[in-house]
Amino acid sequence: MGISLKIDLHMHTTVSDGTDTPEEIVARVREAGINVFSVTDHDAVKACRIIPALVGEGLFYVTGAEFSTRDEAGKYHILGYGFDPDSAPIRELTETGHGNRMKKVRARLDFLKEEFGFVFPENEIEKLLAQDNPGKPHIGNLMVKYGYAETKRKAIEEYINRRHFASEYIRPEYAIERILAGGGVPVLAHPTYGDGDQLILGEEMEGRLKKLAGFGLQGVECFYSGFSPRMTRDMLAFAERFGFYVTAGSDYHGANKMVVLGDTGLDLADETPERLKSFLERCGLRLS
Amino acid sequence: MNADTVKIKLFGRIDSNNAAETEEKIFAQIPGAETQSVVFDASELEYISSAGLRVILRLKKTCPDVSITGVNSEVYEILDMTGFTEMLTVEKAYRVVSVEGCEEIGRGANGTIYRIDRDNVVKVYNNADALADIQHEREVAKLALILGIPTAISYDVVKVGETYGSVFELLNARSFSKIIAAEPEKLDWCVGEYVRMLKTIHGTVVPEGKLPDMRETAISWARFMLDYLPEAAGKKLLAMVEAIPRDDHMIHGDYHTKNLELQNDEVLIIDMDTLAVGNPIFELASMYNSYVGFYDVDREAIKKFQGYDYDTAQAFWHKTLAAYLGTNCKAKLREVEDKAAVIGYMRLVRRTIRRGGAETEKGRAELECWRVKLLELLDRTDSLVFSFNELEIEAVPENLDDVQAFVGERLEAAECPMKAQMQISVAVEEIFVNIASNAYAPDKGSATVRVEVSGDPVTVTITFVDRGVPYDPLAKEDPDVTLSAEERGIGGLGIFMTKKIMDDVAYEYRDGKNILTLKKNI
Repeated sequence: MGISLKIDLHMHTTVSDGTDTPEEIVARVREAGINVFSVTDHDAVKACRIIPALVGEGLFYVTGAEFSTRDEAGKYHILGYGFDPDSAPIRELTETGHGNRMKKVRARLDFLKEEFGFVFPENEIEKLLAQDNPGKPHIGNLMVKYGYAETKRKAIEEYINRRHFASEYIRPEYAIERILAGGGVPVLAHPTYGDGDQLILGEEMEGRLKKLAGFGLQGVECFYSGFSPRMTRDMLAFAERFGFYVTAGSDYHGANKMVVLGDTGLDLADETPERLKSFLERCGLRLS
Repeated sequence: MNADTVKIKLFGRIDSNNAAETEEKIFAQIPGAETQSVVFDASELEYISSAGLRVILRLKKTCPDVSITGVNSEVYEILDMTGFTEMLTVEKAYRVVSVEGCEEIGRGANGTIYRIDRDNVVKVYNNADALADIQHEREVAKLALILGIPTAISYDVVKVGETYGSVFELLNARSFSKIIAAEPEKLDWCVGEYVRMLKTIHGTVVPEGKLPDMRETAISWARFMLDYLPEAAGKKLLAMVEAIPRDDHMIHGDYHTKNLELQNDEVLIIDMDTLAVGNPIFELASMYNSYVGFYDVDREAIKKFQGYDYDTAQAFWHKTLAAYLGTNCKAKLREVEDKAAVIGYMRLVRRTIRRGGAETEKGRAELECWRVKLLELLDRTDSLVFSFNELEIEAVPENLDDVQAFVGERLEAAECPMKAQMQISVAVEEIFVNIASNAYAPDKGSATVRVEVSGDPVTVTITFVDRGVPYDPLAKEDPDVTLSAEERGIGGLGIFMTKKIMDDVAYEYRDGKNILTLKKNI
């Protein structure tokens, strides 16, 4: 292989909760010297239709999305890669996820109105709902704009979080099955952190992986901006035992999170792991 | 800590609710980034979630030198499980433990051991700055365990008042001191287990450089003593200590009954901070002090420390010595006890002087007693080295019975036939009486008798060594036994009989010593 790989397979745009537009993120990827990348917005594939036209020479792009799922035992973020965004199974999956989110946004807006009397102009609500994946940060921004809160953080902590809304969630087996049916590779995102702020280790991790493997999971995100070297080491050992593909992602969100694009911890590895190479080959990258 | 170090205190919980805010605050306190080193004071941090871990991880990516101090055990566990302890310097907070009202179960040179609950004991160090000592003891205890010595390893360091302690798990264990005090009928059993553990320790070879060399310590004590003893005695002591050969076998250094614990059916040795390598005479010396020397003046004191009385201590010590040496020969026991006592008293005198003991009445009495004993011992001791198959004894005719007893015991142990034993005893009598009568006359001196049993067929070798006038008993012409008793010259018959009884008799004079070797094939 002539050129060295710089890989980041996990990042978000304005299609979900990132702050860079798809156009901006492609420019940033180039600036960061990344040559293999995927954009993985939450429950949305809009970027998958925009980005291919922006990718020129020297960049390898993999279609992607990150699905929030849940079952009785907990929450899981399932990444899908290399699928056909226009296939029926993927459309169905994103519509379900998007539908669930929209229901929740409407419920939150109703709550803010009833509880605190916060009202927003019709056109703002329309704009909000027209976004690909509106969530708490978007509502928070709106509250700041209309003077109901000083900062987005205060808006979320002091008002939006006052009531918890049970969401209708996608189950992991459903997400995995749909990704596979759409021609994609299902991968468990940041396994050690669960859906973000958990800590899943040892036997608990093993139980999760066993279950998800049974549903058809094919990979695990072993390199991640928030992982310590030890977490990466442990996850690589699990990948070996379960025969999973290995992926690497930063979870860059632009200005929303202090994560540097391309920071996956992969630079600390002596060489690109074979299971990551075979993942990229599965996604169509010719390495030899 | 240098001037570029930023110290940041963390409070309460860091989780997904406040991680972003915490992160902003942390980065706001770090002006230049990159070259800074950051020390987090986590003494008031209760909990950290993975969102908090990621804050620290992100900081670590811009600032290579991050450390966290005062970490509670819950946070430590999280940092440890997630591999953060590999990436950062993490110092645990010390749990605070009080020993008020706790039972004292042991006391050594460096600290006191208390039982804090049914399953745990804490060793509280005398020295306020004991963290290095604690680390040392942990390391040597681990080493001992790896080398096969059953011991307890401390699992936690705690703060006890102004000093530190290390905590060990000792499940419902009882020290040998307690057993002996409460159940005197178990004394012999305790002696057996005590000696077995001692032999295990002394049979353990320690890799070079892992433990201090007791010989060097003892030489420094002997040098110290030069100023406090008459010149000749001081020089003799130093020469004898220097003549003890180097030895890479383990010694415990504070081997008394409070440091042996019976846990279920297992015997454990604790208080490992004095572990060293050296000749076993150094161990016997410290044991002598533990049961005899230390209590010469105040015999009641042992009751306070060990829980049993002085007479019990004497019985325990003598039975231990006999079992350790594998002999009941009084002369042999006295010889080794004397050697141990020389080093023991040297240590006690030095220790008392160093601790300003001469300023108290009791100290002065002890110092005088120990100094006199040391001088007496130095007068009759020529070597501090002992051997299991050797008897060093004053060469006087009255000691013949002791010599016979020692040789007889060794031959008995080797299952030597009765007839051969009796023949050998005739030869031993001839040779020893000869040395006792002639070697040092009119002065006195010592002789060494060594018994070796080896080979197949079995050969018994008995070697007599003395430092008397050079004298080859074999050079004398054999008497003419065909002549009648009246016609024979006086003497020479003893040597003649010896030659007849033994299969080989050889003499040499080397390094100022007469060495006579007798061999008999059995």
